[in-house]
Amino acid sequence: MDWQALALTLRLATITTAILLVLSIPLSALLVLGRSRWLAVLEALATLPLVLPPTVLGFFLLVLLGPRTAIGRGVTALLGHPLAFSFSGLVVGSVIYSLPFAVQPLVAGFAAVEPALVDAARLLGANPFRIVFTLFVPLARRSLLAAAVLSFLHTVGEFGVVLMLGGDIPGATRTLSILLYNQVENFDYASANRTASILLTLSVVALAAIYSGNRKRRGSHA
Amino acid sequence: MPHRFLISLLAVLGLPSLLAQTPLRIAAAADLEPVLPPILEQFHEATGIDAEATCQASAVLTTQIQNGAPFDLFLSADLSYPKRLIDAGLADTAGSSDSSTPITYAKGTLVLWTRKDSQLSPSLDLLRDPHLKRLAIANPERAPYGRAAVAALANLKIYDELKTRIVTAENIAQTAQFVDSGNADAGLISLTSALTPRLSASGAYFVIPRDLYPPIEQGAVIVSNTSQRAAVHKLLDFLLSPPVQAQLAKSGLTPVK
Repeated sequence: MDWQALALTLRLATITTAILLVLSIPLSALLVLGRSRWLAVLEALATLPLVLPPTVLGFFLLVLLGPRTAIGRGVTALLGHPLAFSFSGLVVGSVIYSLPFAVQPLVAGFAAVEPALVDAARLLGANPFRIVFTLFVPLARRSLLAAAVLSFLHTVGEFGVVLMLGGDIPGATRTLSILLYNQVENFDYASANRTASILLTLSVVALAAIYSGNRKRRGSHA
Repeated sequence: MPHRFLISLLAVLGLPSLLAQTPLRIAAAADLEPVLPPILEQFHEATGIDAEATCQASAVLTTQIQNGAPFDLFLSADLSYPKRLIDAGLADTAGSSDSSTPITYAKGTLVLWTRKDSQLSPSLDLLRDPHLKRLAIANPERAPYGRAAVAALANLKIYDELKTRIVTAENIAQTAQFVDSGNADAGLISLTSALTPRLSASGAYFVIPRDLYPPIEQGAVIVSNTSQRAAVHKLLDFLLSPPVQAQLAKSGLTPVK
């Protein structure tokens, strides 16, 4: 078992999930509370990563972040190195790739909060920031959990984007899914089975722990 | 009226597939993608036999054939994958002099490729140049050109030094994309890719001396399950005929005849 790849994958998924939550909470609140018709376009854009085949998304990012575009050159100047083939490049790719998996549950959860409560809060003079953190976040915490779990898992299982953007560098961009793919492609089915079993076991244990905690809390509310 | 409609529907959907023979399905290595389609067209003109190519990494095609993919002929980018299928009893070269060895139909050529707008120009010296920050190669564990790339770097005694600057792509096409998008400074790719209109317009190549890597012998095998053995043999003979071999040479493969 390649523990380096496992550690790298967990680090990537954790950082990606953290960034996604920070981005998605205000974005989803804006989509739910906002009145502008342009928000429909914004919501569509935030859903787009679901449409593109991941390798194509990875290819677009590779070109966009490369030295042949102004954006790519700017990022390179800012960081001192190009984003492609680096861990930070994978973080950027993963955030874009998993964005719908954070935004969708949050929008659904925030929209399900009783509108009368939101109106009452507004009448009492609460600003949007206060509405989000005293109403949306506590009332939609199951959606928040769903968003976090889905973003994390989706990043762990991410393959096409990493394949195109990563360059398979051990310790920097060789994630578990790439390792697994390599093992399968090299006809090393024994190692592949081992890697997959560890990944699946860990996922089931972690998910069951999260969901059982969640069920208990639901039970105490009923 | 509905009758007539049904009959014309049958004519459209059913008849052509009854009249025409099923096309030959060729599983072809990724480096043949720019080369094979025109050859198959000429084959059709010469014999009336339709043939369709699926171009993929040889390793992927091997797994697919092992799992029953309906191909008639496998044109690999090396000898090890077709040999593996022969050993598993799934492929053969019946009719050739040695029916347990893949038929070598061409040899691949490894080149060092850079973009024309980069500061670096391709040569052996470039591989020792500290300005070379990222060198793209294909996965050496499964892509024949990746294996050749590592062998060449090892023979030049620069592999260990370059190791941290190497990025590995899935196959030869992706290796070229890494360089063409500007993210890698240079790449070791196939001459067949470097000679495509797209890459020859945007970049320049240097042919890696052949004594630096073991020959990339490309082997063909007949998938034993094929129902069109006669047609497959016709295609193999066509592929090995002098005019087609000469055409392979123009596309970046070394003829074997």
